[in-house]
Amino acid sequence: MPATMNPTTSRIQVRPATEKEGRKDYISIRDFNFYYGAKKALESISLDVPERRVVAFIGPSGCGKSTLLRNLNRMNDLVDGIRHEGDITINGRSIYDPGLEVISLRRRVGMVFQKSNPFPKSIYENVVYALRVMGVRDRAILDEACETSLRKAALWDEVKDRLQDSALGLSGGQMQRLCIARAIANRPEILLMDEPCSALDPIATGKIEELIHELKEQFTIVIVTHSMQQAARVSDRTAFFYLGKLIEYDTTEKIFMNPSQAQTEAYISGRFG
Amino acid sequence: MDTTDKKTASAPNEERFQVTRLTLLTDLWMGRIIRVGGVGVVLAVVGMLLFLVFQVFPLFVGAKVSPLAPVPMAASAQAFGEDEYGEMPFVVEANGRIRFHRVKDGALVREWVPEAELPAVASVRSYPRDGLVVLGLADGSVREVKVTYRADFSQQGQRSLDPQVVAAPPVPVGKAGLPCVEAWSVKSAAGRLLLCRQQEAGRDRLTALRLTERKGLGGKAKITVGTPFAVAADVPDLERVLVPSTADSVVVVRKDGEVRIYAENGEAIEFLQSFRPFEGSADRRVSAAGFIFGNVSVVLANGAGVEEVWSLYPQKQPDGRSLRRWGKIHDAEALPGAGQGIYPAVGNKCYLTVAGGRMQVRNMTTGSIRWDGVAPESPVRQVAFARNYDRFSVLCADGSLRRWEVEDHHPESSFNAFFGKIWYEGAEGPAYTWQSSSGADEFEAKYSLVPLFYGTVKGTIYALLFALPIALLAAVYVSQFLRPEWRKVVKPTMEIMASLPSVVLGFLAGLWLAPLVDASLLKLICVIAVLAPAALCAGFLWSQLPQPVRRRVGPGWEFVWLMPFLLLAGWAAWSAAPWIESTFFTVKDLASGQNVSDFREWWRQTSGLSYDSRNSLVVGFVMGFAVIPLVFTIAEDALSNVPTSLVSGSLACGASRWQTVWRVVVPTAISGIVSAIMIGFGRAIGETMIVVMATGNTPVMEANPFNGMRTLSANIAVELPEAATGHTHFRALFLGACCLFFLTFVINTLAEVLRQRLRERYKVV
Repeated sequence: MPATMNPTTSRIQVRPATEKEGRKDYISIRDFNFYYGAKKALESISLDVPERRVVAFIGPSGCGKSTLLRNLNRMNDLVDGIRHEGDITINGRSIYDPGLEVISLRRRVGMVFQKSNPFPKSIYENVVYALRVMGVRDRAILDEACETSLRKAALWDEVKDRLQDSALGLSGGQMQRLCIARAIANRPEILLMDEPCSALDPIATGKIEELIHELKEQFTIVIVTHSMQQAARVSDRTAFFYLGKLIEYDTTEKIFMNPSQAQTEAYISGRFG
Repeated sequence: MDTTDKKTASAPNEERFQVTRLTLLTDLWMGRIIRVGGVGVVLAVVGMLLFLVFQVFPLFVGAKVSPLAPVPMAASAQAFGEDEYGEMPFVVEANGRIRFHRVKDGALVREWVPEAELPAVASVRSYPRDGLVVLGLADGSVREVKVTYRADFSQQGQRSLDPQVVAAPPVPVGKAGLPCVEAWSVKSAAGRLLLCRQQEAGRDRLTALRLTERKGLGGKAKITVGTPFAVAADVPDLERVLVPSTADSVVVVRKDGEVRIYAENGEAIEFLQSFRPFEGSADRRVSAAGFIFGNVSVVLANGAGVEEVWSLYPQKQPDGRSLRRWGKIHDAEALPGAGQGIYPAVGNKCYLTVAGGRMQVRNMTTGSIRWDGVAPESPVRQVAFARNYDRFSVLCADGSLRRWEVEDHHPESSFNAFFGKIWYEGAEGPAYTWQSSSGADEFEAKYSLVPLFYGTVKGTIYALLFALPIALLAAVYVSQFLRPEWRKVVKPTMEIMASLPSVVLGFLAGLWLAPLVDASLLKLICVIAVLAPAALCAGFLWSQLPQPVRRRVGPGWEFVWLMPFLLLAGWAAWSAAPWIESTFFTVKDLASGQNVSDFREWWRQTSGLSYDSRNSLVVGFVMGFAVIPLVFTIAEDALSNVPTSLVSGSLACGASRWQTVWRVVVPTAISGIVSAIMIGFGRAIGETMIVVMATGNTPVMEANPFNGMRTLSANIAVELPEAATGHTHFRALFLGACCLFFLTFVINTLAEVLRQRLRERYKVV
């Protein structure tokens, strides 16, 4: 049991690594430097994310954890004046491979954002959006994907009777789960979550954390969070960033119980952040 | 303040929480000023609307007719006439005696008696507007009597009228010895025409004679009396004869209802045409007939209360020629009883029809009943309208002269006249026509707003067809694809374009662009036609390029790839156009008989439509140019304001940039885009100067892109300066403004409703 957890308030516990471990370096980041113009945002980051595990990125604001996350599906491409050095590979293939279409990368790497961003469309259309842009027209496939994704996102029972209603009528927590459903509808392999619970109340947060646990069975998840309790509750491994550098990366248990770096310890125990 | 506050010495100054009076006052006054401003705007708009309605309202008010005091006259009065102001009417008695009465007190002012030594008077006729009395004598001769009024002013400025009667010597017209049953005297181009009707052994005979007047050098007119000739000698049983004041034709109605027209042909008057009105009616006899002012149309009524208007207009003959012949142009509204009399007004197309105990003032062209009132019990002998249509007088068989005052400022207006298809005199059929002025008095102004509506819509559609695709696609491109540093340049440039005065654009359109387009029409069409396919082709080739090559071109620089394609395609089309013109558009020039390669001539001959150099295409371009910046700026703002979180969300789902734009950005910004379109629409529909200067202002109704149009706003700009205040023309222009107001109001309201719905549907959290 991690020391930071209160067993009575959380139903989620750090779970030990399971037997069916996949590839250890499923996502592999090597000597990765990243610049916004002249500003260096990330400095020689190297870390591996194992398959079907949850890895949490923690650290104070501006430490580069979100930047790194957004590099994993090249969302930073839209930003002007960016530059990188080093490489990121997914399942052995570089995401900067000139022959790799960024669109296909993003189909493989889904993303959930900090602020829920449902499209101003119906719930149904939101969920099947990724399939629609892939060109799926078959109603049966879409219906099936919609139901599966919503069930996985634990939203099905709440919205099954109003799939054609606007997604904007949902509550904050429901919207975020809808965004998760949308991100997993085309069955990506990796799910990136950028502080998915920062705007949610504890009950909604609890539901999403529960969801992460279930999704872990199928997806490799990288989550950025400000909440150390959340990192402790949901992740298998945790990386601590500080000022663009990776300070420490280890199993969550180790990071929270017995960090090897003084900075990590200081951050986790709440002395700065 | 209570005591506890004073104790807290550490909070020394309670006043620092106080708001200053100045802040409160400013707040109060600014609030009031803003409210006044808001209410002022609403009031201004309502005021404008009220002003327009106030200007237009009189058009839809019928005539106000009120009786004046009747003047008792002798019961034997057969005809009457009056001076310009109706102050001193005269009656002509059966024996030819003319008596002048003062309206004020009914006093007999003067009396004129025909000379006793001349043959007795058998018939009388009065032309009140000409001051002419025609007496038909018992020996078959006709005598003209001229009545004039001299106005004198006394020392005190009192106006007194002095009637003068000058009688010409009788002219023998008809067969000597037979009395004239009726006599006419009208003026035609060939001279004065005297006509008399006599009866001989039960059959009618019409005889005419011409008086030609030649002014000699000394100023003394020399009158030549022509030889009498028979008119309509083939009609033994004529019932009534209508002679128009122009004398170019004689209309003879037979007892069985056949109407025969005899037209002036040189010196003679020959049979032209005959027709039978009231087809399908139980009674086919003509019970009342009268020429309408202008002498081109007759109104005929029968005993069953059917009223028809027959008129002279160009008709296609079996041999293909188009000749002016008589035909029915209107079915007037049914009369309240058998038609008893039809009496035209002067100066407009109204007439008084008496039927079934009612009198109605009707307008022949629009068919509207201007007024409906009770007819005098005594039969009507003669009706005369005042020259300016403000009064009419009725001479009854009981000798009384009854008078009515008419207040009808817009007799030619009706809902139908402005919005319906109207068969105007001389036209080949009912049509929507706007033609507000001409040289002749008989001309009837035509105020159909439909061609102007058509022109407005046509101009707007051509402008928007050109502007909307360009403006909206440019907005999408600039907001979503163009590099930000370029965007910073493009957007202000477009906004400067919006500030160009439209008179400058109109000037350029009319004097620079129109000749240019005229000279290289096919080249331009070819270039426009190839640009879109060239862009698509460039896009396709781009997608076929290997990914590493495409990666070299940074996002936002793709247009570098596109440009050569567009330039090349445009240049190719421009160069190929002469070849295309000579290959496909060679026609025989009608003037020279030689083959020419000219698209314009080909268009004229192939489509049968016209080609003008100031045409809709030019207006579309230039008005589009005025509309593009507006639509672009607003649409671009709307598209740029779509939250990046939505764009990111879509991209993260694996959507391409185009899919993101099409499926997320555009729907989210749709309410702003609709606003942009509506503002562009409003600009195009109200645009005046460009249309005035570059269209030729022809109020035609053709979708043909190669001719002009006249819009409601241009119409106002062009014609308001020459419209007389308060005249129908003036008010018709305001009606156009009203319609424009209404049109924009309806469309903007619809657009706003649509926009609100879309906003509700695509609102972003």
